[in-house]
Amino acid sequence: MNDIEKIEVDALVVGSGIAGLQSALDLADQGYSVAIVEKNPSIGGKMISLSKVFPTLDCASCITTPRMASVSHHPRIQTLTYSTVDAIKREGKTFTAAVTRKPRYIGEKECISCKRCEEVCPVLLPDEYEQGMGAKKTISIPFTNAIPQFPVMHPEHCIRCGACAKACPKDCIEFLQEPAPVEIKAKAVILATGYETTPMTAKKQYGLGALPNVLSPMAAERLLAPHGPYGRVLRPSDGKVPGSIAYVQCAGSRDKSIGVPYCSRVCCMYAIKQAILLSGSLPIADITIYYMDIRAFGKGYEQFYNNARAMGINFVKAKVARVTEDAEHNPIVRIERQEGTSAPEEVKHDLVVLSQGLVPGCDGTAFGLGVQNNDFGFVQLSDEMVSSAVTAGAGVFAAGTVKGPRDIPDSVVDAGAAAMEAVSYMRKL
Amino acid sequence: MKVNPELIDEIKKYGAFDISACFNCGNCTAVCPLAKEDISFPRKLIRAGHIGLEEKLFSGAEPWHCYYCGECSATCPREAQPGEYMMALRRYQIAKYDITGLSKIFYQNGWLQTCLALGLLGAFYWLYSAYTGDFGALAGKIELAFPVYVTVALGGYLLNMYRHNIVKPLGGIKLSFKPAHIWETFLHGFTQKNFLGCEETDWWRWVSHLLVMTGYTLTLVISNLHLLEPLNKHYGFFSPASLLVWYAGLAIIVGGGSMSLRRMFKSAESSKFSHPSDWLFVVTMFLIGASMLATQYVNVTQGPESALLNGLYRFNIAVETVWILLIVPFTKWIHIFFRPLAVYFQHVKKEAEAGTAFSLSLGK
Repeated sequence: MNDIEKIEVDALVVGSGIAGLQSALDLADQGYSVAIVEKNPSIGGKMISLSKVFPTLDCASCITTPRMASVSHHPRIQTLTYSTVDAIKREGKTFTAAVTRKPRYIGEKECISCKRCEEVCPVLLPDEYEQGMGAKKTISIPFTNAIPQFPVMHPEHCIRCGACAKACPKDCIEFLQEPAPVEIKAKAVILATGYETTPMTAKKQYGLGALPNVLSPMAAERLLAPHGPYGRVLRPSDGKVPGSIAYVQCAGSRDKSIGVPYCSRVCCMYAIKQAILLSGSLPIADITIYYMDIRAFGKGYEQFYNNARAMGINFVKAKVARVTEDAEHNPIVRIERQEGTSAPEEVKHDLVVLSQGLVPGCDGTAFGLGVQNNDFGFVQLSDEMVSSAVTAGAGVFAAGTVKGPRDIPDSVVDAGAAAMEAVSYMRKL
Repeated sequence: MKVNPELIDEIKKYGAFDISACFNCGNCTAVCPLAKEDISFPRKLIRAGHIGLEEKLFSGAEPWHCYYCGECSATCPREAQPGEYMMALRRYQIAKYDITGLSKIFYQNGWLQTCLALGLLGAFYWLYSAYTGDFGALAGKIELAFPVYVTVALGGYLLNMYRHNIVKPLGGIKLSFKPAHIWETFLHGFTQKNFLGCEETDWWRWVSHLLVMTGYTLTLVISNLHLLEPLNKHYGFFSPASLLVWYAGLAIIVGGGSMSLRRMFKSAESSKFSHPSDWLFVVTMFLIGASMLATQYVNVTQGPESALLNGLYRFNIAVETVWILLIVPFTKWIHIFFRPLAVYFQHVKKEAEAGTAFSLSLGK
């Protein structure tokens, strides 16, 4: 076991979304050494795949990429991407984390990110970064602004043709690479494992993800992103430019029947944001938002909502009960139009986006560090009145949506708080 | 319009315990396969209940258009049980239309209902052991009283329902004599075919209703036409009277038994909540079928002199009497009249709006 890679740092940050990046930077800038472990091939989390952010309509990558670059170039931060934390043990005042680096099947020390392997690879896969709407090669760099710029090979799809190995100028394709264990010792742990959106299969009345023109909000983000899968807004089933688009609010939260009773805090705003962006890219499209009530609670949010109304986005108070489709895959939503006759009504659209809620991305109790979850599976704070980052596990802090749904500004602010709590904990050791 | 601030609390006494969780999103109406433009429910009615619009609640036939498929309760984001609210509204309307006011007492105090049922059973136990006269004749007397009793009770309901649904809101007596409307009213009365409009058709629930309905109607016919004299005659296994009893008894046992099991195991959305009156209904129904079947079986196998037969027959009469006196006019049994009437009233309302209804306006 001599070849096990060992890293010793002050703080371990699990997850490299905007909260993880921010807490790592805040710690490192104060002189502490940090290791970030990220399960995906690139740092940046969910935010890097968003098109714009509300309510300012700033470009999401323009805010995320500088932080990603700072983290990856910071002298006191080590990033382990495409790696999973298998277990964390507390021994006295030290945490020991068992981490596995998943094989990319390339030599990372040699790779110069020239993309030759990607160019020659003959096998195409649905691109999960584009929510399955675009295609990528079996050996490819995850997305244009990924950090690090290393290609990843998916051996389950690889046909072993060897084209990449022949094309690689550095001869660094390693078909025989294996998972590598890493041991990280740290004094404090920050959990920033983020969220997942409610699965499309959560509610059977909404088509269980089988209707091609009923999209998840993440897919809609990709459609709207300047470098998205189609380069413009088209609907997936037939490539038609949609003339009528509907948002189904509370499709994945505030619904006890699917076990997510809480409000996800961001869905009203991202739906309004996407609606505004859509009316920019499709000026003559009809955009309807079906809502139970609009929760625009942050700074500038109400103004943003009013702007959307003034722009002609149609807000209809109704909870969508069913989403079905006709023979041409046009989604049909069934609602009660409360302002009219109160009759159940079926409305046909070209494209429907389900405003999914936020559910826990990772079980914070799984590491056995004394961390507890709340009723909904998010990490429970030991005392919300006292601190926004201290968990029941000593030396374990939480940043961002691991504690519950929140938007980007809130995640950034409390990532800073988590870093401060970790520092004051480490200084007392 | 008069507002009753205590309305929602009153309705909760009839069963809709969770309805205050409703935040008026309209999912229930949108998901409901039976809600239509002119018969929109449940959200509108829940709203009316919350803001105390009493008249809206007892002047609408909407509750009787709901067949409780439970889709609304299963998908309600607040688990407010809108389906159970509709059930509570049916009980509320029965209580409101009842001229004697007894239904109201029974519904609001489940225990009282049970006590009275037990009391009546107790009285008949006493009769059963102490009464030495002719049980057949006693049964005959009770059955003689039955049509009068039911007519008075039903007549009251009918008039009240008509008054609140048609006369008050439409300002006069309106009727429709179109054969299609009358035919549809009867068709719904006998088959309850709207059941099948539910999203995922619960065939078994419909079949058990149909079994109970036909079995029960046959029982009425058998007893009211005096087709059966088990203490005086000896019937063959395949005699016409026996065949009728076999069908009626089995239909009630299978249908009523399945209803009881569903309530016991809460297998469907519609059987999750059981009011004491529901239990009283299904259990008594089951007992009627079972005792009638047993009486006939003992008559066929052991002859009319059997002591067991005497006991079973007394039991059968006792249960039927409790049923007729207490359960039929004041609890959910009455819905077999309300449902087809609701269909008819809907037609009348439409005709009245179109100005084609037979009309007798009352002077102001």
